[in-house]
Amino acid sequence: MGYAAARGGLAAIEFAENLVQELRDGHPSSPLETDQVTGRLRLLVDRVMGEAGLWAPELAAQALRQAEGDVIEAVHLLRAFKSTLPRIGISEVVDADDMIPERRIVPAFREPGGPQILGRSTDYTARMLSTTRRETKPKVQPASGTPADEPLDVIPPMQRMSDVLRDMQLLVDRRRTDDSEPFDITRMPAKPPAPRSARLSTMARAETGALVGQWYRNILGPDGYLHEVTLGEVRHGAMPITVTHPVTRNPVKIGEYRVTEVEAIEDLDGIDEDRALFDIGYGLCFGQNERKAIAMANLDIACHRDDQRSELEQSILMTTDGLDSSGFLEHLKLPHYVTFRSMIERKIAVRQARLQSAPTESKP
Amino acid sequence: MTMTKSPIITPQAAIRVRGLSKFFGPIDEGAIARTGPEFGTARDPLSGSIVAAWDVNFDVAAGEALGIVGESGSGKSTVLRCIAGDQPSSAGSVHLMCHDEGRTNVLDLSPAARRKLRIDQLSVVYQDPAEGLSLGVTAGGNIADPLTAAGWRNFEAIRVRARDLLDRTEVPLDRMDDIVRNFSGGMRQRVQIARALANNPPIVLLDEPTTGLDASIASGVLDLIRGLLEELDLAVVVVSHDFGVIEMLTQRCIVMQHGRVVEDALTDQLLEDPQHPYSQKLVTAARS
Amino acid sequence: MSSTVDEIAGPPQSVPFALLDEESKREIRRALLQAVCIPGFQVPFGSREMPVARGWGSGGLQISLAIVGVNDTIKVIDQGDDEGVNAVNLRRLITSSTGIEETSETDEATIVQSRHRIPEDAMTSDHILVLQVPVPEPLRGIERNMKELERMHAEGDYSKMWVSLYEDKVRNGVITQTTGYPCLVAQRYVMATTPIPRWDIPRLHQAEFLTLFGAGREKRVYAIPPFTDVEPLTFEDVPFEVEASNGAKCRLCGSEETFLVETPGSESRWSCSDTAWCRRKRTK
Repeated sequence: MGYAAARGGLAAIEFAENLVQELRDGHPSSPLETDQVTGRLRLLVDRVMGEAGLWAPELAAQALRQAEGDVIEAVHLLRAFKSTLPRIGISEVVDADDMIPERRIVPAFREPGGPQILGRSTDYTARMLSTTRRETKPKVQPASGTPADEPLDVIPPMQRMSDVLRDMQLLVDRRRTDDSEPFDITRMPAKPPAPRSARLSTMARAETGALVGQWYRNILGPDGYLHEVTLGEVRHGAMPITVTHPVTRNPVKIGEYRVTEVEAIEDLDGIDEDRALFDIGYGLCFGQNERKAIAMANLDIACHRDDQRSELEQSILMTTDGLDSSGFLEHLKLPHYVTFRSMIERKIAVRQARLQSAPTESKP
Repeated sequence: MTMTKSPIITPQAAIRVRGLSKFFGPIDEGAIARTGPEFGTARDPLSGSIVAAWDVNFDVAAGEALGIVGESGSGKSTVLRCIAGDQPSSAGSVHLMCHDEGRTNVLDLSPAARRKLRIDQLSVVYQDPAEGLSLGVTAGGNIADPLTAAGWRNFEAIRVRARDLLDRTEVPLDRMDDIVRNFSGGMRQRVQIARALANNPPIVLLDEPTTGLDASIASGVLDLIRGLLEELDLAVVVVSHDFGVIEMLTQRCIVMQHGRVVEDALTDQLLEDPQHPYSQKLVTAARS
Repeated sequence: MSSTVDEIAGPPQSVPFALLDEESKREIRRALLQAVCIPGFQVPFGSREMPVARGWGSGGLQISLAIVGVNDTIKVIDQGDDEGVNAVNLRRLITSSTGIEETSETDEATIVQSRHRIPEDAMTSDHILVLQVPVPEPLRGIERNMKELERMHAEGDYSKMWVSLYEDKVRNGVITQTTGYPCLVAQRYVMATTPIPRWDIPRLHQAEFLTLFGAGREKRVYAIPPFTDVEPLTFEDVPFEVEASNGAKCRLCGSEETFLVETPGSESRWSCSDTAWCRRKRTK
């Protein structure tokens, strides 16, 4: 047949599947265990869980292994797995101040209330490709970065920078009560104008690169909806997850997950804004993914200030999901010969119409 | 402000405007008292709110053109946009004879119902053709827009109607299938007028229709509009800062300053013998 | 800790019947009921992530899985072909997660899931046609802003669409819209007919069968109930044209009355897009 590439039935598909499986699993190197993936490729696992919207390090590691390291593919596996599960409960609202911090940066102040904790970061490390492999035993606790002799429980309380600005009466107060139940983007598609919770959860699940790209496009590209913010808080740490016990009705802590949280301080300068005040954008996503949380916080405040004047919100809601964009892009590989035949037919029809009208009417 | 449903339009009035007002920002009685011509501003110094238009009243009969004259910021375009439905108004009523025989205050209609009025009841010609036309569409296509909105579904009939309208507005017919972006300013205005007349609306609002055109081009467009007003039984409101336009097109006019109507007169009378100092200043400036 | 989760979750289940959990299927069926009640209206739904990628029939698949029962028989085609790789993949997903029968014969099927075609065989009230939709918004080519699009549909304000058809005819002498031709459904909503060829459009009008449209990526479903008017948008004096075949015949079965696809370069270059139809014609 002339279209063997996309036709050939079950046998061809199974052969393609086997090629992937055998060459992956049959590789002569030692088998890849999931604890190696979670332990040594932590940021990759974090990223996959964030974009999947599912905190499950072990499953994410399995997905990455199965997907040969393709992040989008791994995210797809996790989300499709999630579709088969019933929703058995909804957790209690968490207070971000309950975070057990592993890292905290406050660029806006030299000495913020509470410590700056560099934590686990390569931000200040020269990016020299290391060609030797070192095996070391960990000397520090995961939550450290503070001097090793200072135990975790004496870290002074961290004063949140939005609270500091509020105390200084420098912050727009837009706490509100009419958006208390978060919009569930997995149960109903968000469309503009959407509540803030829909925008935030869309961005929390967005593809990291798409969100960074959206941010940078607004900094340097033709749209220019966005200011460069000053970061008030960049935090990373563990948060408790609590549910109401089905029998006792008491809150029960059932586990932990790590998040990155960002507060972005915006310098208001619009004609309809109070020049004497700041506003705050917020970002929060699973795992350690500061790039994503910062882009999210800045886009959050940009979207609020834009207030439907441009199509920024539509861009955020509709174009940042990695599975949507990648799936649609890759669908171009599917056969399109029915549609293409119809296109050829119309090209010929236009040509014939031109020939027929040529003697009577000459069009430029 | 809601008016009760009653047949308040007399047979002569195609448009009746009562108490039409438009504010930006919160307004109280004090703000009204602190703004206007005697204070030299429409902005309330205390609240910063703007009284863009306050208590505007007029009637326009079919076959009549009313002018609204004033400098930029006087509120004259605001009044027109509130009547057209481009802007929500803050208070007042607008009754149109062509809609529900004048029984309904159209300001109370839903945005969708107000948009429907724009298909065949009320047309607007804007100063900027980009507001009234799709620049990427042909002249004929711009006329096909209101026609198809009114239910026209015959291609040849649409072509014939578009050709007639473009002919009447003196657009060369060999340009009917060119996109409007390639047209000169004067030609765009002619296409906009043709489009405004597509469904024979009884009411046409003209917002600075010749401002920004070269003098010779502007006078050609004005001649065209005057001819159309004489020929068609339209109720027309013309907003302009230019007394030449008002004089040529209108029989009556109101003068606006800082959001208030300061004078209401026959156009000839106003030009001969303006009463309000601001009108006198405007007329003197126009005559010099 | 994890023991608490296990307690709440109950005993572990294998993959559920028809893949999706029951709540999800119920939710999709509710959206479909709304779609049937408002023909041509795009109903938003909580599109799930499927084991196939978005853009690869995930919307059609969710519909098929939400409506399938143990006594159904499924036919899946892509471009009219039961053997297209993606058709095969979708079909085995449906059959392996439900255990239902599969067929390539339209008259044996109760559910026909398709991409880009309607089978040549006449379908009846015994069939449900599920069409995979990449772009559910028929007006996207003329308007991008979603709020404005919503307004246009709500008010039945389709003049921009008519202007685009007018402009097309003026500029090109014909209406050049190829597949997915916009149609007015039940005199109310303009609807995107997926990219099925114009050839298939007349068969949606007053059809005996129910057609369900699923757009997984864009999270919309819509429907044409049986015996509903489906009129391609065109002017009274500009007849709607299906793809001209100029007397071409299928090189395999000799048919002239089916939608033919082209093989470039070869001498006898046309063949039926509906491969099951073609095969049956040859064996008869």
